[in-house]
Amino acid sequence: MLEISHLSLHYGRHLALDDFSLSVGKGETVVILGANGAGKSSLLKAIAGVTPADKGTSISFNGRPIHSLPPHQIVEAGIALVPEGRGVFGDLTVDENLALGAFAKRARAHANDSRTFVYELFPKLEERRRQYVNTMSGGEQQMVAIGRALMSKPDLLMLDEPSLGLAPVVVGDLFRSLGQIRQRGLALLIVEQNVKMSLSIADRGYLAEAGRITGEDAATSLLSTPAVQRAFLGGAA
Amino acid sequence: MLTTTIISGLVLGGTYALIAMGLTLQYGIARIMNLSYGEMIIAAAFLAYVLFGQWGVNPVLGLLVAVPLGFAFGYLVYGLMLRPLVARAASRESLEIDSILVTFGLLFVIQGAMLVAFGSNYTSYNYLNVGIDVFGAVIAANRLVALGLAVVAGGALYLLFTYTLWGTALRAVAVSPRSAPLVGIDVNRAARFAFAIGCGLAAAGGVVISTYQTFTATAGVVFTMKALVVVIMGGVGNILGALSAGLILGLVETFVATYLDPGLTLAATYLIFLAVLLWRPAGLFGRSSR
Repeated sequence: MLEISHLSLHYGRHLALDDFSLSVGKGETVVILGANGAGKSSLLKAIAGVTPADKGTSISFNGRPIHSLPPHQIVEAGIALVPEGRGVFGDLTVDENLALGAFAKRARAHANDSRTFVYELFPKLEERRRQYVNTMSGGEQQMVAIGRALMSKPDLLMLDEPSLGLAPVVVGDLFRSLGQIRQRGLALLIVEQNVKMSLSIADRGYLAEAGRITGEDAATSLLSTPAVQRAFLGGAA
Repeated sequence: MLTTTIISGLVLGGTYALIAMGLTLQYGIARIMNLSYGEMIIAAAFLAYVLFGQWGVNPVLGLLVAVPLGFAFGYLVYGLMLRPLVARAASRESLEIDSILVTFGLLFVIQGAMLVAFGSNYTSYNYLNVGIDVFGAVIAANRLVALGLAVVAGGALYLLFTYTLWGTALRAVAVSPRSAPLVGIDVNRAARFAFAIGCGLAAAGGVVISTYQTFTATAGVVFTMKALVVVIMGGVGNILGALSAGLILGLVETFVATYLDPGLTLAATYLIFLAVLLWRPAGLFGRSSR
């Protein structure tokens, strides 16, 4: 469904992504593992169209090239990003955030169904629908961010460090919710520091290091790969 | 005396609110600091004057001409003059500076055109200049019409921005321009619309002002300043803030002019401006910790 080949990205003269190639299949959950500076966030931003990729890059989604589209059209194509730091509309209410989630033309007709699903997934949001988002806790804001992304009726949901800054209990809830989203048939592309949690819900994972992809395997095998154990689970920073 | 002052204050405040709403949209959403805003107001005032004087078109109907024209003018100006700046701007801050320079130039173009066409004399016309008894005070009917127009236009705009998806989207661009594209909002298109709506409101304000005030081709800068004060008092991009700050400013100015000294109105304006900035730097309605 998502096919990326030869994705490179420069910030000025700094090479953030060096010839990335990866794919996400329909309904598949894929995790990108890597230390800070491996280029994980840049990858999601390039796919979402927020940061333009270099020439020669090819990104296609559902068979259609999307690498030269502006971000609002990529949402229309069916890709939603929950950015690092969540990017919610803090000065608007929960309801308004969700309503805007369905701003894309592809989503408007389904807004009511999507909202029902979001409230099922995060009942707390329904209780607080009139609350301003910047008065909510980090975990609740993350729910708003994911809910808003789901409102756009995406085929692929991308999450950039969703557990960052959240308490361990909240992280558990978060991944349970992501598991439920996955069961609805959505494809997920997750960039995450919490390797154990993310691999537990993933089908496949990629290892990234200093802007390059260094490995790829099924999630279950990655969990027992010595390189992953050493780099992420053993504690070496 | 008191009733007259309150109503005059509300009329003036309603006008301030109306024009400030337009500026707050342009500055808050499109990040264009439009220094030619006051000139657009005056241009609409002259338009209403010509429509009324030449063809006898009543200013309330004149609004139906002036507002769409203002919108179209704003839409064109954005497309021709401002979009190239937006495209090359490295950040919203640099766009702000560029937009100040360009609209400063536009100010003199519009002002020059008006000076050529109408000269520099004080201009006014007599529309509904009859007294009406309101709670024992005699108020000119044109002022009541002006108040009514400001209330209707301001209220409609507030409802539009609060309860429609498009309005919510424009507010979202104002508060989180970087997140807006992630839900499928075309920020450039939103900015162009906001700028055009702002010009439409400037036109509405100009027509309303022309019904009860005298104006000159060079009076625009006063309105830009007043609108800017109201915008900052109310919180940038905040419609309800502009509405209330505008009313407060109008009431204060009228009370100071009536009970103290007309020469002190500007001083009073800046005094409350200062007080608001010290007490609530993000504006009366700014929830800001951004």
